[in-house]
Amino acid sequence: MSKCRSCRAPAVIDLPRHNANFCAEHLEQLCRRQFRRAVDDFEMFTTEDRILVAVSGGKDSLALWDLLVTEGYDAVGLYIGLGIGRYSDESHVIVDAFARDRDLELITVDLRADHGFDVPTAARVTDRVPCSSCGLSKRHIFDTAAREGGFDVVVTGHNLDDEAAVLFGNALRWDVEYLRRQAPVLPARHGFPRKAKPLVRLTEREMAAWCVIRGIDYVVEECPMAIGNRHHMYKEALAVVEATSPGSTAAFYLGFLERMAPLIAHDEDTDAPAPCRMCGSPSGAADAVCAFCRLADRAGAVQPVPVELVLGRGARRRYVEQWGASALMEGDGHGGS
Amino acid sequence: MRGGRVAHRVLEDLGLAPAGHLIIRNGTLVPSDTMLDDDDVIEIRPVVSGG
Repeated sequence: MSKCRSCRAPAVIDLPRHNANFCAEHLEQLCRRQFRRAVDDFEMFTTEDRILVAVSGGKDSLALWDLLVTEGYDAVGLYIGLGIGRYSDESHVIVDAFARDRDLELITVDLRADHGFDVPTAARVTDRVPCSSCGLSKRHIFDTAAREGGFDVVVTGHNLDDEAAVLFGNALRWDVEYLRRQAPVLPARHGFPRKAKPLVRLTEREMAAWCVIRGIDYVVEECPMAIGNRHHMYKEALAVVEATSPGSTAAFYLGFLERMAPLIAHDEDTDAPAPCRMCGSPSGAADAVCAFCRLADRAGAVQPVPVELVLGRGARRRYVEQWGASALMEGDGHGGS
Repeated sequence: MRGGRVAHRVLEDLGLAPAGHLIIRNGTLVPSDTMLDDDDVIEIRPVVSGG
């Protein structure tokens, strides 16, 4: 059996990108070191800041919340119920239990109850990929909750593989505006809170292992609406390279931050956006309605659409495999979290 | 399935990439060069999420 690189105890994981194996104790040390390095190098936040951490119930966000509180940061969780059938129901239960077991403060916002729509219905009325209206809704709710709650920074569990996949997609299209904004920390600006991604130096395998060794229960199943999305395709492409050349993903993303991002950076000197006339959030032109309120208006005006009706054939099959046939057509879109 | 095989061989036989999975044997995380026995209960846990 392989031994830990640090102490020669039996290893629990092999990490080819480090060309090493680690026991649980030294894997935890490695993760804490990489987390601290990201926070410090990119000046994300300090122990003086009030942090709002977005938690989905997946491995990354719960690992991040665990890291934050055990490293001495003041971090309150924010969970958004997206109304994605059993997946959302299970996510809510997991996040609630995580917070309760550790006596942590959790803010919950439910799209259907609080804003009159859910992600499957939004996907249907916009006729766009579900991740589009999901991302728009989450960003709006993160920003609003941070502003109303007086938080200094919003942090999310995007990991190294997530960021590398986004970078890969942006580079394929040479989308310079998106490349410019792909930073691990974005400063507060025009009413939007500071945003940070403290897991950018850690892979998703490392985060999953963190949850196992720390005894964190998380939703292992994939979001049914994200199955087969473009982000997955980019991850698969990078995984092929990583398998034959371990460390390539980290070199690609961290090398971009170090050597390419400074070359394309420029100061954005735009005017402050006018407030949305519906919700007051920073929006755009004077007397305009923000994209979130427009979405809520459209999706809230139709009957709720159950998640299975907006899944492709493959994703629907996976959804039944994961949650059972009883998950089909059980929801009317009102009960999801 | 039968034991007497190294974990990463089992993953390969199943067409699964070692980098995209964790191997949990009898409730404990193990590296991919672990020899699996007939009586072991193995969980192969995917780690990729959709972002």
